[in-house]
Amino acid sequence: MAGKAARSLAKVLVVLFFMFPIFWILVMSFQTNGEILSLPPKLVFTPTLLNYASLLVGHLKTSVGMLTITFMRNVMNSFILSAGSVALALVLGVPAAYAFARFKFRFSEDIAFTLLSLKFAPALLVVLPVALEFQQIGLDNTYVGLIWIYQLITLPLILWIVRSYFEDVSPDIEYAYRVDGHSWLGGFVKIAIPLAGPGIAAAGLLAFIFAWNDFIFALVLASGPKQPVTVGALAFVTASGIQYGQIAAAVVLSIIPTFAIALYAQRWLVEGLSLGAVKG
Amino acid sequence: MSALDVTSLSVGFGDRQVLRGVSFDVGAGETVVLFGPSGVGKTVMLRAIAGLEPRARGRIVLNGRDVSAAPPEARRIGMAFQNFALYPHMTAFENVASPLNAQGIAAPAMGERVRALARLLKIDHVLEHLPRQLSNGQKQRTALARALVGEPDLVLFDDPLRNVDAKLRYEMRIELPRLLARRATPSLYVTQDFREAMAIGERVAVLVEGGIAQLASGAEVYERPATLAVARLFGDPPMNLVPAQAEARGGGVLVRAAGLGFGFATEMPDDPIFGIRPEGLVLHRDSGPGRTAAKILAVTPASEQYVVLARTEGGIELLLSRETPPPSEGTEVWIGAARGSGALFDRTSGLCMSNAPVMEEAVA
Amino acid sequence: MNDAVATAGKLAPETFRAPRNRLPYLLSLPALFVCIWILVPFFTAVWYSLEHYNMSFPAGRSFAWFANYIDLFTDPAFWHTVAVSLIYVGGSVAFELMLGLGIAMLLRERTLINNAIAVALLLPLMVAPVIASLIWKLMTNPDFGVYAWMASELGFRHFRWASDPSTAMFTVVLIDIWVNTPFIMILLLAGLRSLPSQPFEAAALDDVPGYLVFWRITLPMLMPYILTATLFRMLLALQEFAIVYGMTQGGPGNALMVFQVDAYNEFYQNMNVGRSAAVLVILWAITFVLSKLFVNQWYRLRARNRGEI
Repeated sequence: MAGKAARSLAKVLVVLFFMFPIFWILVMSFQTNGEILSLPPKLVFTPTLLNYASLLVGHLKTSVGMLTITFMRNVMNSFILSAGSVALALVLGVPAAYAFARFKFRFSEDIAFTLLSLKFAPALLVVLPVALEFQQIGLDNTYVGLIWIYQLITLPLILWIVRSYFEDVSPDIEYAYRVDGHSWLGGFVKIAIPLAGPGIAAAGLLAFIFAWNDFIFALVLASGPKQPVTVGALAFVTASGIQYGQIAAAVVLSIIPTFAIALYAQRWLVEGLSLGAVKG
Repeated sequence: MSALDVTSLSVGFGDRQVLRGVSFDVGAGETVVLFGPSGVGKTVMLRAIAGLEPRARGRIVLNGRDVSAAPPEARRIGMAFQNFALYPHMTAFENVASPLNAQGIAAPAMGERVRALARLLKIDHVLEHLPRQLSNGQKQRTALARALVGEPDLVLFDDPLRNVDAKLRYEMRIELPRLLARRATPSLYVTQDFREAMAIGERVAVLVEGGIAQLASGAEVYERPATLAVARLFGDPPMNLVPAQAEARGGGVLVRAAGLGFGFATEMPDDPIFGIRPEGLVLHRDSGPGRTAAKILAVTPASEQYVVLARTEGGIELLLSRETPPPSEGTEVWIGAARGSGALFDRTSGLCMSNAPVMEEAVA
Repeated sequence: MNDAVATAGKLAPETFRAPRNRLPYLLSLPALFVCIWILVPFFTAVWYSLEHYNMSFPAGRSFAWFANYIDLFTDPAFWHTVAVSLIYVGGSVAFELMLGLGIAMLLRERTLINNAIAVALLLPLMVAPVIASLIWKLMTNPDFGVYAWMASELGFRHFRWASDPSTAMFTVVLIDIWVNTPFIMILLLAGLRSLPSQPFEAAALDDVPGYLVFWRITLPMLMPYILTATLFRMLLALQEFAIVYGMTQGGPGNALMVFQVDAYNEFYQNMNVGRSAAVLVILWAITFVLSKLFVNQWYRLRARNRGEI
């Protein structure tokens, strides 16, 4: 009896602790500056859409004049960078994952481990020299350069998760397809990929989340117009004249995509987070 | 021209040679059975012929075409896998139609051929189902249909009836040879069941330790096994193999084993083993010439016969089989050999020295 | 009679050899290329660490063997960085593990509510760490932050959260716990729910007390998951940048000067490429060892989940 009550209480406390900040920032995004700055914090108020409107439209009328806000450009950058790097990682990683799964050739284990250990290596170790190099070859602050470097985040993930999925598809099925008279490529496209489809989707979605949430790569390699939301939101705080309501709204906009993906793909999250070791 | 000609096929995995320079052929319209214990390399051989074994060396000629270097899709082969290997995301129809797709056959003709074969194999009513909705029997027949529909030059069967229930297995043992004969399709059929081997194939190739120990009709292999290994494998209950004493006598060899004596017109073996099939031994109530005393240890009623385990006075245990019920356990009996039964093997070389005893006598 | 072909031991000469399969190499070539490409900056960084290289003084760039490393190992500021990093890792991972395990045990039963809670708890993990830092920064703002307000209401007047060296570590560790506990929780929950029921049923029949069931049965069976999750978190916590940078850029003072923040400041504030690279190489060495441990553990976990042993 007491045990059950204690468990329920514990659950409530846990949910409160983890959900409250998200709830609060959401509340803040609908409040005016005046309401935000008042203490004790207000829970009852008339919500306003002004914060979101000013972000979406791109400017805000303040007491000191018209303020230009380029946050929506940050959001677009995040989409371009995340989607682009995931797409590239899929193109590079899915065939490689297939090769590693089907053919145990020399170096396969070494390459796979190297990619993973690079992912675990300190980001700055790779990124700082790249920053210097990029300046010289003109890839500094470009989408191409950033998507290229983002492979460090997305490629190992795709490789390790998708490899696990390909290994679970019986090779006999592909053999049967070839004996029927289809080429190896036909088997890869019509059999292997559809059967590993869920895994590829899971890996792609997870890679998107990690790319979207990245901060350090973007901080070093992107400036101004190419910055994604992670860097952009932080810059917001130090910008002058920005109101807290907008910061809150910007934060909410930043987390909506990853939240949506998590809710949609939750079935595969455990799999993705364990890099394919644990199946749902 | 034979349908399949295999020359010096060798497959090795690391330091293990699974197949050593195996050569054989399959005639036009013939079904050859590959028989052997599990792990001996039957599936490996099949895969090598299909082109799925990159480590294979040797020459493979199909219908006159050298396909040793050709990829599987160019070999014009059909294959029925042990675990069916159906495409889980396609309907049964699409599974069967797959080879016709690869050949680029137009939809109407394709549909015709698939449905005709499905009717023959009695799966026409489940063609729109996905593999996971089919029973094991239906899955196997779908796999068979897929292997046959493209009218390949050679069909490979990898123990297709292993994962299927007994009733279907029995039915297929009759239907399959009929189906293959009707289409005159040359086939290579793998099985571990010697009865299946005898039922299905025109010739049986017994695979032992990397090579073919004997290639002959099923009856031949059963009645006149070429080596000890073949004798042990081919038969259930297995052939009695008893260590024997041999001495030269009159240009031949006189062999004594288990209290019985046999003469063979052959050379003296190194390490003689006497072999006789359970159905070649007879139980008698009383003693007589050519009989040895024994006690019945156990009786097992098997499906078409009774199997008796008896021990001779010399301590040798023998298996006998017969159609009529035997005396009960514990009975003292006399065991003799049926006329013409008995074989002499040499344990050192493993070879059968002779399958035809020329005389018998009792040993005191 | 017999068409016997006795071939045991007789090897015919090779008449044909199938062509070696180039396909796997072809398929993984692009990925390999990326791999190698990324190794270039890595080695470049190692090279920098062996140089006196300061961007504000380019003329003085010279090869210096291990001078940077010796400087670091004799510099109390560096050891302060090490200490701060270790405290960060220790504090966050230890609490995340305990909290994650506790929550996973709470949600073990597959009920609608438990599953809903598990999904909800995923969300902090989906927030970019730097954004999480931002959220907490707003919430602990002394002027209007709701947490600051709560703290003072509860009697902690003048609790300065991240603005005070004595409480800054507490604050960032708290943020880390908020973001990353769900990771451990979700992994351990998957593990708990996949445990076979027989040992627990047997224990129930034998009336074994709860805490013994936990220590002797649950915990040992959950070890692979715990190890995997812990190693993973340690690897990432050692390199934490976003949370600390987002909150205070390493301050106040250098109270939160963890490895990568230190390296970043060396590079961008002091312009000292060589020293920055050296710090990173040392960090890399530690994470390399950990990542090898992690990968081994990962394989064990995967084998366990596939039913192999």
